[in-house]
Amino acid sequence: MNALSVENLCVKVNSRHLVENITFSVEEGRIIAIIGPNGAGKTTLVKAILGLVPSTGSISMFGIPFINKNSHIRIGYVPQRIEFDRTFPLTVSELVGFTVPPMLSFPFFKSRQEKEYIESLLETVGVQDLADRSIGTLSGGELQRVIIAKAIVNNPKILFLDEPASGVDIEGQERFYDLISRLNKEKGLTIILISHDLNVVYRFADNVLCMNRKLICSGKPEEALTDEVIKSVYGEMMGAYIHSCHEHD
Amino acid sequence: MNTISEFISYPFIQRALLASIMVGILCPFVGGFVVLRKMSFFSNAISHSAFAGIALGALLGIDFSVSSLALAVLIAFFIAYISEKTTLSPDTVIGIAFSAVIASGMLVMGMLKGYRTDLFAFLFGDILAVSRTDLLLIFITGVLTFAIILSFFKPLMQITFNRDIARVEGINVRFFEYLLFLVIALVVTVSLKIVGIILVTSLLIVPAAAAKNIASSMGRLFSLSCIFGITSGIVGLMGSVYLNTASGPTIVLVSIGIFFLTMLKPAYR
Repeated sequence: MNALSVENLCVKVNSRHLVENITFSVEEGRIIAIIGPNGAGKTTLVKAILGLVPSTGSISMFGIPFINKNSHIRIGYVPQRIEFDRTFPLTVSELVGFTVPPMLSFPFFKSRQEKEYIESLLETVGVQDLADRSIGTLSGGELQRVIIAKAIVNNPKILFLDEPASGVDIEGQERFYDLISRLNKEKGLTIILISHDLNVVYRFADNVLCMNRKLICSGKPEEALTDEVIKSVYGEMMGAYIHSCHEHD
Repeated sequence: MNTISEFISYPFIQRALLASIMVGILCPFVGGFVVLRKMSFFSNAISHSAFAGIALGALLGIDFSVSSLALAVLIAFFIAYISEKTTLSPDTVIGIAFSAVIASGMLVMGMLKGYRTDLFAFLFGDILAVSRTDLLLIFITGVLTFAIILSFFKPLMQITFNRDIARVEGINVRFFEYLLFLVIALVVTVSLKIVGIILVTSLLIVPAAAAKNIASSMGRLFSLSCIFGITSGIVGLMGSVYLNTASGPTIVLVSIGIFFLTMLKPAYR
């Protein structure tokens, strides 16, 4: 079954196409990476799929048309940059707890069940020691893990990650993508991932979708990302870099 | 000099004390969201739209509470709607709404016959003139506000943290934003008589800002906001009675004093 089907998706701002006629589908339980140069419309594409920016075309998730967020499909989303006030007095467990159902509940006293559930989520993403830390004091990598914990609270069937490891150090990135891979395998999560790092794409993605406002290619990374495609999208230098990545693998 | 027990034996002081305690909890509680969402200017526009509402009520012979609340809610929704439908920043839209309500209020005031001292009482507030009906109104508003905020605390907090994530997780962002604006308009309107149009924003913002200086969690932020609000209300009121100063400004100055005290302590992380 397809977890996501997108047909003829267009996003237009002031008669300029940011995303033009994109059609693709993602099988359930797969990791798909969306790549493309800066300004290619990757973030816009994801936002359009999620209904955060106006678009035309059709989107369905798990066979259900996805219109105006009324389809009750559980979705997780980790945006590219989480802009928030660093002085926001909010602890990690509070942030994750605000997503835990029921939504209509007294906020400051958590039941034991709720506490245990939050602890298990933080443990899943490896930040159980940070439960009482203020979110403003977290490093980029720690914050991304916390946001992932928040995103998986409601057991989503599909997870959208927009350059989730940007600004995170190399070790942090490794741990982050291992976590993503584990969530995909253990929970059967379908993951849509925007990335600039082609190494990540080769190592973690089942399929790749390459775009520059329009769809350039899609398929398995080893098959779809030919030297010609890489050069046309990223230029000669990146073509050589990818070639060396392949040799190392 | 009279003792505190003597002062408290006067019914008007009792009513004033009760009003300052209720507003001292109510304003900072809602103020927590105002501070977190950086909406100080918004609350200022709402209080001034209540002023235009009072002037309009005087002109048309409508009850001031009704006319001020109606205009405050209308302006709050206008700001939300225009911010959503245009590319203008909320700050600019609030500035336009603020100018519009001040100009309209002054225009309508000029159309009224005679010198209306009752309208100026709303400008500066008069806590010692609070009636039983006013107390009842504040109490009902308080219960309603706490019921709404506590019931919807999670979604309100989610949209405050990040609107996009909240929307993807299935929260009706527009509904909860309008609900929050409605609650702010309601609280501002019922608090006008206590501290006045000019200072009501202070009671919303200052205790919550003081709490934010030292709070390490959301629970502490909201509880400390209310504690600082009540302290400001009681100390300010009793201080104003002893010193024979205006109650509203004294309450606000006590809250400013608390704010500076919290500046001395770095936030616990």
